[in-house]
Amino acid sequence: MRQPWTAFSALLVPLLVLAALPPLRLAGVPPSWAVLWLLPWALADGPLSGILLGTALGLMLDGLHPGPLTQLPALVLLGWWWGRLGRRAAPIERSFNLGLLAMLGTALLGGSLWLQQLWWGQSGRAALHTLLAQTLLTALLAPMLCSLQLLLWRKLAPGLRS
Amino acid sequence: MQSPGRRLRLPPLRLVIAAWPWLLVLAALVGVRLSKGAFLSDAYAQLSRPFWPGSAQSEWLRAAQDLDQQARLDQLEADNSRLRDMLELQSTAGGLLSAPVISRQSQGWWQQLVIGRGSLHGVASGAAVLAPGGLLGRVGSVTPATATVTLLTDTSSRVGVWVGRVQHHGMLVGLGTDRPMLRFIQQDVGVRPGDVVSTSPASTLLPPNLTVGVVQSVNDRAVPAPEAVVQLSAPVEAIDWVQVRVRAQ
Repeated sequence: MRQPWTAFSALLVPLLVLAALPPLRLAGVPPSWAVLWLLPWALADGPLSGILLGTALGLMLDGLHPGPLTQLPALVLLGWWWGRLGRRAAPIERSFNLGLLAMLGTALLGGSLWLQQLWWGQSGRAALHTLLAQTLLTALLAPMLCSLQLLLWRKLAPGLRS
Repeated sequence: MQSPGRRLRLPPLRLVIAAWPWLLVLAALVGVRLSKGAFLSDAYAQLSRPFWPGSAQSEWLRAAQDLDQQARLDQLEADNSRLRDMLELQSTAGGLLSAPVISRQSQGWWQQLVIGRGSLHGVASGAAVLAPGGLLGRVGSVTPATATVTLLTDTSSRVGVWVGRVQHHGMLVGLGTDRPMLRFIQQDVGVRPGDVVSTSPASTLLPPNLTVGVVQSVNDRAVPAPEAVVQLSAPVEAIDWVQVRVRAQ
């Protein structure tokens, strides 16, 4: 029951990235859909699953963009971190916590992309603007979207976290 | 001695008083003369206003001018490609394929378009993508039914361009912002704001002589060579269909 839902919702992430819905943009910058999907999944399903799905998302998203920048390492790291957090810490259900975690995650993802731009000798002139806009927007959307997904994953696998 | 003098002076005075309307007319005519006929030509303009050449006439002229320029452009293009063939330079021939823009990411970490034509339609990686206004970018990757276009503003975009007025080559480097940077190799290039940037006439990667944009500002003190900010001529946000240059089969 859970696998079709996982596959379907994970496939939705690259489609949302491609659609780049105009209303859901801040100063022209879209939110990080990968973070919005990975956060509740890793919190509900643990570090190993977080790493695997982080890798899957990273591979799919890197295929969509030309150029040498990659989101894969940051997504793998985030999957592992959030999975650990979901197992070790007290259950995270409050919207504020989800927003904060999404904000930190997006900032980390943006920071890794910025470092890669500098590493490849590209201009990082617009990077701060993109990073701030994406971090803010993702953190604003996370409480709404992530808590719903968290409910869904916990409902589909009630015995997982205990 | 006084009375004859008075008698002599009085009639002209009386005449003057009697003729004052005529004097006014005379003064008005002198005024007209001194103002180079201002009143007359203004009155004529007011009277003849209904018969002035209207906008229709200027539109005819403009249409005729457009037609003339279009015809000359076609003729020059035909001439140009014939001469290029004789010189065995890269031909500008090859079809233009219209493609719809199905995804647009002009801000964020990547500046790219996804268009709804792919390798099945003859689109190849590296092909130039044009829009009304000029060059938009190059095809970065191709799938059977879609192609990803790296815009000139993307941080990974590097395109050799040409400033025709000063006859200098430069490298157009994307910054991730709306306006890419034009880097030169030589020191004294003499580029000014307003200069038109196009693809090089001798370009092999891109079709020659495509408009790219206009120089907006120049930083002469940049090290090692001057840099210029370029405003692109093709409006990315407003474009729903692009044209991809496909090689002649």
